[in-house]
Amino acid sequence: MTIDRNIYKPFRAKLTDVIEESPLIKTFVLVPEEEFSFNTGQFIELSVDGIGEAPFTPSSSPVVTEKLEVTVMKTGYVTEFMHNLKPGVFMGIRGPYGRGYPVEKFFGKEVLILGGGCGLAPIRSLLYALENVKDKLEKVILCYGSKTPSDCIYKPLFTRLNKIEKFEAYRTVDKAEEGWNESVGVVTTLLNKVKINLKNSVAVVCGPPIMMKFGTIRLLEMGYKDDEIYLSMEKNMSCGLGKCGHCMMGEFFVCKHGPVFTYKELKETPDIWK
Amino acid sequence: MSLNKDDLKKIRFFDNYTEEQLSVIAGLSSIRDFQVKEILFEQYDELSELFVLLEGTLSLGISLATEKRIHLGTIEEGQLFSWSAVFAPYISTAWVMAITPAKVIAIDSKKLNLKIEADCDFGFKTMSKIAQTISHRLSDTRFQLMNQMII
Amino acid sequence: MQYLSITKDEWDKTLERLLLSYTIFATLRNESGIEYELVNPSNITRISYNKPKPVTSLKTFFLPVRENVTSAISPGKRRIIMGIPNCDIAGLKLLDEIYLDKDFKDIYYRERRENSVLISSDCFGVQEHCHCLTYDIKPYSTSNSDLAVIHLGDLIILRIITSRGKEFLSQFSLVKPMKDQSLVSEIEKEHKATEALLLSSNKGLPGYSETGKLLRNAGDEIWRKYSAKCVSCGACATICPTCSCFLLIDKPGFEKVKQLDACQYPGFERVAGGEDALFEIHRRFRNRYMCKYVWKPEKFKPVACTGCGRCIEACLGRINKNELFLELALDRS
Repeated sequence: MTIDRNIYKPFRAKLTDVIEESPLIKTFVLVPEEEFSFNTGQFIELSVDGIGEAPFTPSSSPVVTEKLEVTVMKTGYVTEFMHNLKPGVFMGIRGPYGRGYPVEKFFGKEVLILGGGCGLAPIRSLLYALENVKDKLEKVILCYGSKTPSDCIYKPLFTRLNKIEKFEAYRTVDKAEEGWNESVGVVTTLLNKVKINLKNSVAVVCGPPIMMKFGTIRLLEMGYKDDEIYLSMEKNMSCGLGKCGHCMMGEFFVCKHGPVFTYKELKETPDIWK
Repeated sequence: MSLNKDDLKKIRFFDNYTEEQLSVIAGLSSIRDFQVKEILFEQYDELSELFVLLEGTLSLGISLATEKRIHLGTIEEGQLFSWSAVFAPYISTAWVMAITPAKVIAIDSKKLNLKIEADCDFGFKTMSKIAQTISHRLSDTRFQLMNQMII
Repeated sequence: MQYLSITKDEWDKTLERLLLSYTIFATLRNESGIEYELVNPSNITRISYNKPKPVTSLKTFFLPVRENVTSAISPGKRRIIMGIPNCDIAGLKLLDEIYLDKDFKDIYYRERRENSVLISSDCFGVQEHCHCLTYDIKPYSTSNSDLAVIHLGDLIILRIITSRGKEFLSQFSLVKPMKDQSLVSEIEKEHKATEALLLSSNKGLPGYSETGKLLRNAGDEIWRKYSAKCVSCGACATICPTCSCFLLIDKPGFEKVKQLDACQYPGFERVAGGEDALFEIHRRFRNRYMCKYVWKPEKFKPVACTGCGRCIEACLGRINKNELFLELALDRS
């Protein structure tokens, strides 16, 4: 007789390091006490003991299983507590949940990734996963936009990506600061300069709702078909189990049917950009 | 430096033109180089060339009464700019400056307009491409505006 | 369908003996109507049979308002719940699909389900807002409850529905196959009479999938009109046999408390950044019905509204969803 695991009970993970990415964003390095692995794009419910839990998509490589990294922006009650944590404490993890990026479907193709703001966190995990199978891919291009240069997280990532064979990375900011000599403007302007074979390409979009809406519209205009555009929808996931009703988006539970969807699956669903 | 039609075929902006049309454009075009901080044109300048950026990065912006330059965005490789050169009164709505060494295709806009009037198919294709550039510019500006409005 | 019977007196004595090994809840009449009560030797004779319907839905027995979902399950006394109307039995089908799904089984819900004998009660009569039949739910059970009970004359008649029900009854030597088969036609007569009442009091009310189609196309104005008196009290969701949205609240030691929530409450979809897609009342109001008639049917087989009408009875603003559906149906034609 199999004993079913308690789906509501988190397992513990030790916080071993806290990396400051920007004034409002930190990356937490966690070592789970139990065996844990995830597919890139899946999410976990991360809890602060006695305070609350919130959904996050790990930003680390899915191939590395002894530890995982979660990038957290301080936006509310629970994340504020998280930002005050010091290495050595234990956090709680439930998961992984949901449907991640179908990396095998990208084999033999060029992958165009459009990222914005904190969306770079799940994208970084996807990039690690793609790097791991780069022999099976034609090309990977990252176009990333943040509000200001200070908001651009994982600063060494771009230099590193441009050194990997088949990888290209471009970034832009909405508003430049002193010393910024790269592109200025919204992330869709970077799409003018990418050289991509539209007949053999998929696109991944991840970022704030406005960016995802404008990005998707531009990709469709470029010629991407609606089942070639992969969107990472963040919508109030709470139980992660398809039960509590909070992440319901039309006929879907984001926690069960997503968070990764193709645009084809979502195009009839109203209000997806809210 | 002059261009031929095969040079233009490599640039996405010139997709869907016929061989003959590409030859016409090549005949009206040249390649120009700009140094860092060189101004291609100022806001309110009268324009006589339509540009497509080949290499490098340019900054686009507007100036206020105090003559302070406000940098609104960058022009990326492959992008068309200076579209005001094709529409009366041919006055630029913004300034453009090179922020890295840049190479642009410069197309004589007066002669281009004559060709647009004379050849409907060429005219339609060219105006459609320019309209799409302006549409993208507007969409990106709205996106930028929404980003600023939502804290 | 197999029917067994026992005299009412013997049945009451049997229940009294069962109290030693089971906790029994049954529907009893009180000043305000019919409600579940804990059975004890002194109230057995007040148990009400075949009168619709208890104020509280069956949901309460399986999804408590608050429970700790990380503590160890202590096996409790087995329980019997008797007097359940079929609308609630139908609602349980949806809750089973959500909470016993193969990937994520809720072990607390499962323990309660496995530990309960369900005895439904055929409805002989209707209440003002009953409309189960409109959604193809009969006013009597033939599936999902273990047994159905009917009080006819001085007999208690039991319809066997599941093998667990059969096994449960096998321990009582006085419960025997019913001799007088003419009583079956009497029971069927009562069924037909109840169905006739349901049909006549719900003329024109569109069926379940028809309602879904009407709601998909409904404009903003009708939602604003019907939600004008809504105060977001959440009574409709609390009393509903199929609403089960919840919050998980963290307690020290990584404990979690599961607490029922409702999409009618403000902030149901508010995210950390402050955005709230359902900020306006009429959007939350619309959400409830889109969820029940359009979105849940895409994900689950059992219906998400069983036509019990409790939401209409419970509403502080006296909002009647069926009036909304009738208006949409009339506009359509």
